[in-house]
Amino acid sequence: MDTSDCSGRRGDAKFAGAQERTRAWLAALGFVVAAPAWADDAEKAKTIVANVCSACHGIDGNSTVPTYPKLAGRHPDYIVRELKEFISGKRKSDIMAPICAALDPGDFKGLGAYFGAQKPSSGTVLNAKAAAEGKKLYQDGNELSGVPACAGCHEPDAAGNKRFPRLAGQHREYLVEQLHNFRNDIRNNETARVMREVAKRLTEDEITAVAEYLTGL
Amino acid sequence: MKAWLGALLLLSSLAGGLRAQEAGHDGGAAPVWNEIKGEKLLALKLRGDAARGAEAFVGCQGCHKRGATGSPSGAYPRLAGQHATVLIEQMTDIRSGRRQNAKMLPFADEHVLTPQEIADIAIYLQGLPIPPNLGKGPGDKLERGKELFVRDCSTCHGERGEGQAEKFYPLVAGQHFKYLLRETEFIRDGRRGNANPDMVRVIKPYTDDDLEAVADYIARLEAPAAAPSQ
Ligand code: HEC
Ligand code: HEC
Ligand code: HEC
Ligand code: HEC
Repeated sequence: MDTSDCSGRRGDAKFAGAQERTRAWLAALGFVVAAPAWADDAEKAKTIVANVCSACHGIDGNSTVPTYPKLAGRHPDYIVRELKEFISGKRKSDIMAPICAALDPGDFKGLGAYFGAQKPSSGTVLNAKAAAEGKKLYQDGNELSGVPACAGCHEPDAAGNKRFPRLAGQHREYLVEQLHNFRNDIRNNETARVMREVAKRLTEDEITAVAEYLTGL
Repeated sequence: MKAWLGALLLLSSLAGGLRAQEAGHDGGAAPVWNEIKGEKLLALKLRGDAARGAEAFVGCQGCHKRGATGSPSGAYPRLAGQHATVLIEQMTDIRSGRRQNAKMLPFADEHVLTPQEIADIAIYLQGLPIPPNLGKGPGDKLERGKELFVRDCSTCHGERGEGQAEKFYPLVAGQHFKYLLRETEFIRDGRRGNANPDMVRVIKPYTDDDLEAVADYIARLEAPAAAPSQ
């Protein structure tokens, strides 16, 4: 049973070590972890992004490293929800878990609002044939294997909403990795239950195709 | 709205009636058709909210489509305009496994929908406009289809295929042909777990041609205008 709470306290010694390292790392970056009374949540969020998140996700939330997801234009509620899931460990990530645990959960809302307000960028399609197949799967699903149309939940333009995240323009590598994580129960949070079922019905070719399509949006 | 409330008031007495009716057929040993208890009773009693239902239905439209129009291929039925009572019965039967539906279950089980949301979705869908139907059959046996429907089906499903909300008889008019064909086959062959036993009895002797004829006739019936949702 997981005993962590939103303040990031946790009995796990290995985890505490990683958390300490993150704190030290944050401090080395010149970021004051226990910052005193900030005048403005938005200002504070901006400072955290500049000092911590931007190294991987980009200052405007459009990461340029394929395994680090773009966050620009994702719904603020979705961002907050996922940060909490990293802390609880239901969504497993050795990178994000210690970072979230070192943050004050009171700042999650500001971080969500910051990234939600950034303009999302598109990627480049490298395989047009795969993208066309991916489009069909995304918009219509697969009636034979019972894959629902992704568009039903994530919206026809893949812009997402507060329950179902934006997928448009995301790095293909990250999309493929997450679909595998759902399928293999590595992304085990409650809100992802239906998504795990969807991923288990996808073939490897369908995963490649739909990721190719989404990257280009 | 008045009719809906009336239907609800009828329910408790109805459940008892069905139980008595069923006991008569099989000496009381067979399970009761559409027994109103547990979450089915709860969802029927709860007051549905169409706006909340619209939100909960987002997770269903990947299969049943926006506007709940279903698929002319027959893979997914149209749900728009169906009686709320029928929708609640079918959803709770699918959840309990009385009607098997492995494709849908993980998207509609107790982890995903509460009984309140079942009631919300039902009232939302009942109020949706019924689109002009695209899923029709070959059209070469319509006379035969009409004959069978009037003789065997219309007493329950109504002359125009409109069904009867308070008796859980579905609106079948204008449903996709291929879906109707599959369901009537399931019903005849004992593969629709929650099928009404009196209906099974009339469909039992049907040939495949008879099923196609009656399904095509039903698919072409013009569905009545939708009931207001609230
Ligand atoms: C060292 C690199 C790194 C840093 C720094 C970092 N992240 Fe991440 N972030 C990742 C990786 C990798 C993932 C994907 C995790 C996974 O495998 O599920 C991720 C995932 C996320 C997600 C989930 C995105 C989605 O689409 O589901 C959010 C939200 C997030 N990070 C927010 C932040 C915030 C806020 C900060 C700053 C406080 C931050 N990250 C700092 C690497 C980083
Ligand atoms: C029934 C609704 C539903 C359908 C249909 C659906 N998804 Fe999802 N999807 C979700 C939910 C809910 C989440 C968020 C999971 C969470 O909370 O962690 C999600 C998350 C995702 C993510 C992770 C995004 C990120 O930023 O980490 C990807 C990738 C994804 N879905 C792809 C797909 C694809 C591809 C399809 C179609 C084959 C699809 N989804 C169909 C509900 C759905
Ligand atoms: C993965 C695809 C899929 C999803 C998602 C799905 N369904 Fe279904 N649904 C089906 C299929 C397939 C059938 C028909 C099964 C059969 O032929 O017996 C069906 C049948 C039904 C029926 C019975 C209709 C009738 O005329 O008897 C209802 C009611 C229903 N679904 C409601 C829902 C609701 C509400 C949701 C969302 C909570 C939902 N479905 C999500 C695939 C799906
Ligand atoms: C005794 C009343 C009765 C008779 C007679 C009857 N039905 Fe039904 N029918 C029902 C009920 C109740 C249901 C819904 C629950 C179920 O599956 O039993 C239903 C369901 C159906 C369905 C599935 C609808 C859906 O949306 O999934 C079809 C198709 C159908 N009937 C066709 C027929 C045909 C064709 C006939 C005549 C040959 C017929 N029925 C005769 C009561 C009846």
